[in-house]
Amino acid sequence: MSNFSWVDGSIVGVYLLATMTAGIMVRKYVGRVETFLVAGREMNVYLGIASLAATEFGIVTCMYTAQNGFDKGFAGATPGILCGLAYFVVGRTGFCIEPMRRAGVMTLPEMFEKRFGPSVRWLSGLVIIISGLLNMGIYLRMGGEFLIAVSGISGKGHTLEIMMSLLLISVAAYTILGGMLSVLVTDFLQFVVMSAGLIVVTILIIAHVGWGTLLSAVESHYGAGGFNPFVNPDMGWSFVVFNSFVVTACVLTHQPVIQRVLSAKDVQTGRKVFTWTSFFFVCRFVIPGIWGIAALASLPAGVVGERTQQAMPLYLGSILPMGVMGILVAAMLAADMSTDSSYLLAYGSVIYNDLLAPLRRRVNMTERQGIRWNRLIVAALGVFFLFYGLWYPLKGSVWSYLTITATIGFASMTTLLVSCCYWKRANNWGAAGAIVAGAVIPLAYLVLELAPATRELALRIGPNWSGIAAFLGSGVAMVVGTLLKPGQKTAKEAKA
Amino acid sequence: MSVAHGFWTVLALACLIWYSTVTFLVAYRGVIDIRSMLARLRRGQTSEGEDGLNRE
Repeated sequence: MSNFSWVDGSIVGVYLLATMTAGIMVRKYVGRVETFLVAGREMNVYLGIASLAATEFGIVTCMYTAQNGFDKGFAGATPGILCGLAYFVVGRTGFCIEPMRRAGVMTLPEMFEKRFGPSVRWLSGLVIIISGLLNMGIYLRMGGEFLIAVSGISGKGHTLEIMMSLLLISVAAYTILGGMLSVLVTDFLQFVVMSAGLIVVTILIIAHVGWGTLLSAVESHYGAGGFNPFVNPDMGWSFVVFNSFVVTACVLTHQPVIQRVLSAKDVQTGRKVFTWTSFFFVCRFVIPGIWGIAALASLPAGVVGERTQQAMPLYLGSILPMGVMGILVAAMLAADMSTDSSYLLAYGSVIYNDLLAPLRRRVNMTERQGIRWNRLIVAALGVFFLFYGLWYPLKGSVWSYLTITATIGFASMTTLLVSCCYWKRANNWGAAGAIVAGAVIPLAYLVLELAPATRELALRIGPNWSGIAAFLGSGVAMVVGTLLKPGQKTAKEAKA
Repeated sequence: MSVAHGFWTVLALACLIWYSTVTFLVAYRGVIDIRSMLARLRRGQTSEGEDGLNRE
């Protein structure tokens, strides 16, 4: 039974009104495509921190990190620690992001064109889009399911479809009108609301259940494996290695993430945003992980069944008092809206900037036409996500699904980016090979997992080894492809 | 309390303290960033408009 009341409804209403108004008001500053896609490169450090944190925390994040807590205990927060480390190291050293920002591009494939040619740019755009669409495809559904479960609304009839449509419309309205500028301003508001909600709810949960009870629940359910990923039977070395690859690749090549570096007013600002936000990525796994563990400690056995991602919202719906429930729903709406808007814009920017690049060269679009195209693309992506979310039958670990789909793009894009920045000899043969190898391996794994005849084989391989193979395969393909291309000499050799 | 329990207890506490502090800091400094960003964009629009007039 949920405690959602008119007080909670009012809190949510005020939040929605404030964020939509702010998002729509800044549209008047959008006169150029660069302003629409990277906010005219005027973003400063604190706005960058708010935007990066809000973008990378949505309802889906909360659901899978809480599911990790429920299924794996504290050890489930390991990817968060790895992610925090990756952001810190990349921010401190400027590894890849410094040359990327200096290149003055709006997307990663645009940078690749300068080194590997237009075909590689187009192919890179394609894998980023395939990976991004599969990855983000489940976000709206997860958001809708969470809001239904936590607010206690009956899930019968078309409630889920209505909830998903409302979420999409509220996000698309300001993203379509104001692009990155609206996204940054609303991200700021959403960061404040989301953070306040996350902190308040976590303190209430710890006070309600007791920290000692949380530790004991993990100990009794998972033993040492609930605290140490290396001895957890569902995790182990392969999980840690694969997740290290995925989170590092995410930091370097995930379009919604690097769009913050590309929108930064200079290189130093971009690096500071990464360094100072790094610990947030630990909190991003630990805090909802605590919520999942609280559900593990409190819900009677058998209530959750196999759909363990539902445990946390079910638990919160039953314990949070009036008022706090409104704060939670507003916080989660804030988290989801900031993620959805940023992702819509990020993938829209790749479609416009890279996939449509050949067309744009022929037509010679004006700035006004460019903005109109971007708005149309964002709207079309929204409709796609709505239908994909309703159609895809998500089973098992949400985190595994997300890492595998992300790997389709991450593996090759990381290889290309590192080679582009630091290997003078890398060429388009190697780049094409890396893209194909990085995409084919995880896609093949997804197909094996979906087909009943090969499901058993997919389970034996597991998502971790398939993911590691994609990263290594992509790297090997880059080296082999580059060396195979005839007549290749480095600048030094050519001089000699 | 074992080492593992201690590690996760300290980490959870650090998360709550760090996150609360950063939320206050970003809430205050973020407003300043938004104002200056919009001011710079406004100036940019004005100068673009003037350039256009000069060209005409």
